[in-house]
Amino acid sequence: MSIIGTGVLRVPKEVKKGEVFRVQMVITHPMETGNRKDAQGNLIPAHHLTKLVVTYNNREVTTINMGGAPSTNPFFAVTVLADQSGVIKIDYEDNKGGKWSKDAEIKVV
Amino acid sequence: MDRRTFLAAAALSVLGLTATPLTLKPSFASAAPERLVKAVKERAGVDLSDVKVSDQITIQAPTIAETAAAIPITVESNIPVDKVEKVWIFVDNNANPYILDMTVTPLSGKVFVSTRIKMRDSSNIRAIMKLKDGSYIMAAREVKVTVGGC
Repeated sequence: MSIIGTGVLRVPKEVKKGEVFRVQMVITHPMETGNRKDAQGNLIPAHHLTKLVVTYNNREVTTINMGGAPSTNPFFAVTVLADQSGVIKIDYEDNKGGKWSKDAEIKVV
Repeated sequence: MDRRTFLAAAALSVLGLTATPLTLKPSFASAAPERLVKAVKERAGVDLSDVKVSDQITIQAPTIAETAAAIPITVESNIPVDKVEKVWIFVDNNANPYILDMTVTPLSGKVFVSTRIKMRDSSNIRAIMKLKDGSYIMAAREVKVTVGGC
């Protein structure tokens, strides 16, 4: 089960200063809502991401809080305004205490 | 029945058939289930009836969803980021209508979020936005779901 929480983060290699670019991510996670039942009729306990923070050189870009509704292995895309070369980092956690992060470098020309 | 009255009756019944769905269609606010009103109050701290409908928010989503377990949606707005505080996404008919909320900062560059969501039934997707002046605006878009994905 160690695969849960693996993230893929995609940023453009190079962007122009002042450009608004997209950051896309896919996180491996079951995203159980807690409403589904298994074959025996027992509720499958909720297990989903709760928080996703996008930072750019340690400055917060956006914080996304969520319930169980995003799809299994959720995809997110957000925009970032390019002002300096550096690191885009995502930090995310789930309702069972899992915490992960992933980063990618970006060059601003 | 002679031909003339028959034709008149036929025309009337056709009119009736086409007119009924229009009158039966519920209005935007009254269609909101209680669950949704409660979720909006709890998460966004505002009564749904106080939220103004705005055309400055656009929601991109398929009209008919092929797989309800992963419906791609994109919410964006042309309102400058420094005037926006937060964005919420709700789905009317889900067991838990709350999908997500996101903060917006000047570093975001623009109000934009794209993701994939699960939906139980055909219903409205709503995006509610809180502006810096304290007012709330929203947009809605209907998605038809053939097989539920919750």
